[in-house]
Formats: sequence, C-alpha cells, structure tokens
Amino acid sequence: MEHTVVSASKFNAWFGDNHVVKDVTIGIEKNQVIAVMGPSGCGKTTFLRCINRMHELIPGATAKGSLKLYDDEVYTMNPIYVRYKIGMVFQRPNPFPNLSIYDNVVAGYKLNGLKMAKADMDVIVEKSLTSAALWKEVKDSLHKKGTFLSGGQQQRLCIARAIAMEPEVILFDEPTSALDPISTSSVEQLFHELKENYTLIIVTHNMQQAARVSDKTAFFYMGELVEFDDTKQMFTAPTDVRTQNYITGRFS
Amino acid sequence: MDARIGIRNTKSMLFKGLIVFLAFLITIPLIIVLLYIIKQGVTQVNWHFLTHVPAPVGEAGGGISNALIGSFIMVIMSSIIAIPVGMFAGIYLSENPHTKLAYYSGLCVDILQGVPSIVVGIVVYFWIVKPLGTFSALSGSIALSIMMLPIVIRSTEQTLRLLPPSLKEAALSLGVPYHRVIMKVIVPCGFAGILSGIMLSVARIIGETAPLLFTAFGNPYLSTSITKPMESLPHLIFTYATSPYDEWHNLAWGASFILLMFVLVLNIFTKLITRKWNIQL
Amino acid sequence: MTPLENEITALKKELISMWILVQSQLNKAKDAMVQFDKDLAREVLIKEKRVNAFELKIDRDCENIFALYCPVAVDLRFLLAALKINTNLERIGDIAAGIALYIVESSVNFDVKALESTSLIRMYDEAVNILIDTRTAFEKEDTVLARSIFKRDDVLDAINENAPLVVAEVIKADMNSIPEALYILSVIRKLERVGDQSKNIAEEIIFYVEAKILKHLESSQKHIEGEED
Repeated sequence: MEHTVVSASKFNAWFGDNHVVKDVTIGIEKNQVIAVMGPSGCGKTTFLRCINRMHELIPGATAKGSLKLYDDEVYTMNPIYVRYKIGMVFQRPNPFPNLSIYDNVVAGYKLNGLKMAKADMDVIVEKSLTSAALWKEVKDSLHKKGTFLSGGQQQRLCIARAIAMEPEVILFDEPTSALDPISTSSVEQLFHELKENYTLIIVTHNMQQAARVSDKTAFFYMGELVEFDDTKQMFTAPTDVRTQNYITGRFS
Repeated sequence: MDARIGIRNTKSMLFKGLIVFLAFLITIPLIIVLLYIIKQGVTQVNWHFLTHVPAPVGEAGGGISNALIGSFIMVIMSSIIAIPVGMFAGIYLSENPHTKLAYYSGLCVDILQGVPSIVVGIVVYFWIVKPLGTFSALSGSIALSIMMLPIVIRSTEQTLRLLPPSLKEAALSLGVPYHRVIMKVIVPCGFAGILSGIMLSVARIIGETAPLLFTAFGNPYLSTSITKPMESLPHLIFTYATSPYDEWHNLAWGASFILLMFVLVLNIFTKLITRKWNIQL
Repeated sequence: MTPLENEITALKKELISMWILVQSQLNKAKDAMVQFDKDLAREVLIKEKRVNAFELKIDRDCENIFALYCPVAVDLRFLLAALKINTNLERIGDIAAGIALYIVESSVNFDVKALESTSLIRMYDEAVNILIDTRTAFEKEDTVLARSIFKRDDVLDAINENAPLVVAEVIKADMNSIPEALYILSVIRKLERVGDQSKNIAEEIIFYVEAKILKHLESSQKHIEGEED
C-alpha cells in the first residue's frame, strides 16, 4: 500500500474521561478527497485534529493507537514537523489580522523565523495564491491587510497559507460552513484542483458537499468509524443502516 | 385605548428626557473643574515656568521644571518595571484561565487594585526607603509601578482573551512554536488594547501623590539622580497649595493645569490609538 | 417523520391509487370484451385520461422532491423506482385502453369458444393477478413476492408463443372469424406486454428495497428506536 498517505489503526482519543474517537482504523490514499461526516459530537473533528496533532493542545486531551504519515508514526514525530507536513484550514477564515495578504501567505515561514530571499518568497506567494485561485483577485493589493477580503477570499487565503508550506495532506474543518453559496462553490471547485497535488481530508456537515467534492466518504457515529467507502456507493446504497439513517435525515 | 397610548407615550418621553438630563448633568462638574483650573492655571504657564525651579518665598517667578523632570523620570522607570511584568502576567492569565495559579494571581491582582495608594507608599517605605536609609526616586518608581501593575495585567488579559482562539490555532497549525505564537501573533494582534491599558495606567499614576509622600519625598531643586529624593507634579501641587504664600499657590495652579493637560492628552491619545490601531478580526 | 418522509409516503399513496385505477381499467376492458359491452369499453377510453393525469402528477411530484430535498440512499432509490414504475403503469393503462378500443371498433362479438381455445381469459386473469401481486409487493416492500413475478410472467410468455398456432386453428375452423381472431391475437400480444411491464416494475421494487437489507439491521434498529423516545 505505497499510496497510503495517512493511516490509522485502532486509534483512540479522549477529552479527559470522554472517549471521543474509538478504535478507528482507516487508510487514506494519495491525491484523493476524503469527506468525513457524522452528527455533531461524533468525534470527526477530533479525529481530524489528531492527524496533525492539534488535538493535544486542548488541556486534558489524550490519544492512543497508531496514526501514520506514510511509514512514520505521527505521535513520535516532532509536532512542529507534523504540522509542516499536514496543513489545516479551519471553520472560520482566520487570516492573521495584523499581517498583509502577502505576509499571510508566507506566515508559515515568517512566523517560524525561517529566513528566505525576497525573490523566493515572491515565487511562493504567487504560486500559492494561484493554486488557491486567489491570485487574480488580489495581485494588485498584496500589501493590504488580509482581513479586507471577503469571507470566501479569506478562506482561500487561508488555503493558500496552508499550501505555501507544501504539505502532504491538508485538513479542512468544515471549511465552508461560514461562507455564502457562491464562496462555497468557489472553494469546492478548488478542492478538485488541489487534489492533483495534495491529499485532502474534509470534515463537513453539509452532506451534499460531501457528495459533490469527495472521492471517498467516512461516516463517524458515536466515536466509531461506521462506514468508509466510495462516495457514490455511500450516497446510493450505504451498507450500514446508521449511515443510511444519517444521510437520509432519519436520525431523530 | 387611545388615551392610554397617549399616557404611555408621555411617560416614555419623560423617561427619555430624564436620562438625557442626567447624562448632561454629570458632565457639569467636569466642565466646572476644567474651566476653573484652566482659568487659574493658564496664565501661569510660560517658558520660564517650564524651565525654572521654584523660587524661594518672596521672590517673583519660579517654575516647576524639577517636578516635570521628576515626574517624567519616575513614570518612565515605573513603566520599565511594570510593563514587562504586567504584560507577561496578563498573557499567562489569558492563556491559562483555569489553573489554580491563574485563579489566585487573578485574585491578587484584584486585591492589589483595591489597595489604597497610601498603603502602597507605606509598604514601599518600610521595604526600600528604610533599608536604604534615604528617600529616593527609585523607591517612588517602585511604588508607582505597583499601582500600575493591576491595570496593565487586567487590560492585557482582557484584550488577549477577546482574541478568537482560531487565531492561535491558525499559527499553531503552521507549525509555529508556542512562544512565537504568543510574541508574533497574539501580542501584535492585541497591541492596541495592551497599549491603551498602559496609557491609562500611566495617566493614573502620574497624578498619584500618596505613594510618593514617603518614597520620592520631594525636592525643591532639580535632581536627576534616582537614589536621591525627587520632586513630582502632584507632590509639588500638594506642598505648594498648602503653603501660606500666594506665589506658591499660583505655582500650584500652573502645575495643576500642566498635569490636567497631560492626563487629558494621554486619554485622548489612547482613544485615538485604540480606534486607529484596532485590528479588524 | 421528516418532511421528506411525508412527501415520500404521499407519493407512495398516489402511486398506489394510480395502480388501482390501472387495475380496474384492465378489469373493465376484460369485462367489456367478454360481455361485448361497448359502453363499458368507451368508459375505459375516457378514464384513460385520468391515468395520464396521474402519470403527469407523479412525474411532477418526483421532480419537486428531487429539487427540494436532494434525496440520497434509500430515498433516492425509491424516487428513481417511482419514476420508472410510473411510466410502466401508464403503459399498462395504455394497453387497457388499446384493448377497449378493439371492442369499440370491432363489429362482432368475440366467440366464447375462440376465447376458450386461445386461453385468452386465463391469460387475462393471470396478467391482472400479476399486476395485483406486484402492487402488494410494492406496498409491503416484499422482494420475495416481487421475485416470484419473474416466474409467473413465463406463463404469459408461453401462451403468447403458442398464440399464432392456436389462432390459426380458430381461423381454419371458421374463415368468417378472421377479424375477431386477429383481434384476439392482438389482445394476447398486448397482455404479454402487461407481463413484461410488471416484470420491470418488480425489478424496480427489488432495486429500491434490496439495499434495505443491511448488515447491522438488528442491533442498530434497536438503537434508533432508543433514540426516538
């Protein structure tokens, strides 16, 4: 399985005594879009945050089991290195309000104090913003503050910021839940383009979005991974009744 | 029915009128005080006044340069002591709001804020002035920095707590180490708030007399040595206003005017800064 | 019940009403044939308009549900099945009307003996029964019953295959009966189509229901019941 980028086996996570991710075993292949869905509190976001070790930043949060990036155990790597390799985009667009658009894109380098020639930085900024389908809109105002952009543009700026670090995997935590439909569709379109170079894992509450953008869908319920299958299969004939009840809205 | 609505409308109008009237009323004492001090003080202020030490009794002229410089030095020194300590304590409190240490230190800050300034003065007198054997600008600065601390801590804490956690997450998710997240993201984003807290605390301590009575003490001559007694504006006003001489009264009025202007400018400046530098989240 | 479930229940009811109407059309056409009752046959022709109206309404309902609720999984399969069943039922309605049209156009009564020898009546009854059983299978989501339809359609096919020979016999016996014999052959051909349509419907029912047989049905069914109270 050389194409497996992220794999978990018997992976568990807790908040204090609360067992939120239970025995999850999953293998995520390269250059695919994976949608993760499930009702609120099912552990999907926690699982996502475990992948780049953001979970452990919350006091009382613990995790156990195997979680690998290629062949390396994520939980024995330096978390800072893990986060270089596995980028993340959050629910609400969160560009750094004190930085310009330009600096936001290279924030990963600047904030880490990595020195770099201006020319190299220009290249990274243009490349990342182009990949995030934002270059055309902002190329004349690179030195304005990132917070002057619209919500959808801000979210794409955050995506550009993640891309700039050239990660293997990008995690999205409900990336469009704070956006209007037009911004949402521009971000969704971006997913299709991004999967050429990256592996995307998207937590979403929007089932239609999961259906539209993903190659495979994982359904979490009460901390368990109930079903993980091709999205087409999942939305026409799911094999588990809990999945069916969830996607057809029959969960009370 | 219509009549009732009329009555209710009238009541509502009366209530609104009352609120406006009271809001207007509270500005009257401020205006009176301002006008009076300006009227008494503005005539005293001239270049000579700002650049000369007070004249002995019976001589005409004299200024407040010793107090201006003294106040300036002591405010700078207490800021140097209080701002780093206060900021880091504030950062700790906002970052770890649920720890025991945060609870108790938060409590201490609240108590410190409530301690009367004269008590701070006495404490510093026994801790520093007595062992050193002399009144000094240093001990005055320490007393003032203790007065500053709670304001700086609380304003830092409150500003940083208002910042969305997503900001920190954004930085952490880029692999930025914690200390850099604080120094490069959190503090810059909350800078306007922290700065306004500092400004307000400066505005507060510059008018403090009580802690300086037993610490910096006062000095009728120009002195820049921090180990010697030093004059300050409020202390000068206190000594000269309670003297029996008219010339000295005038000196006190002038000094009051300068102090008032300084505090006023500082407040307005703070307001402008928070508006201008306020970072849009 | 979610709004989508309400819509689907209503759609199912509508489809069943259409089904009953089509059944009665077939029955009436048969009665008209056996009793050579032209008035009854005309009634069938008139009621055909109602079948068409039903088809349009169900089509529109499906369209609305697709547009407004974006159904997935079992709901999606049900709606797809409903659309196709709708078309099939409308065709069966057309067939009943077609048979009725023969009665109206035919100048002579169908010979009872000819009906006997070609086993047309037997075939007709079987076709109607198949339609009824498919309906039951649809209502009860009974895939076993739906599967049995495939076998029973074979009976109709057999009669249909023999029909040319049998009809030839009838013609040989009485050359005057050529027109009615040809009508009988046509009716047999049409009834065979009813069997085929029913088979299609049965397939749709299996398609829609089968994925309901899910591996965790037992344990999680309990779970969901627990959640509802």
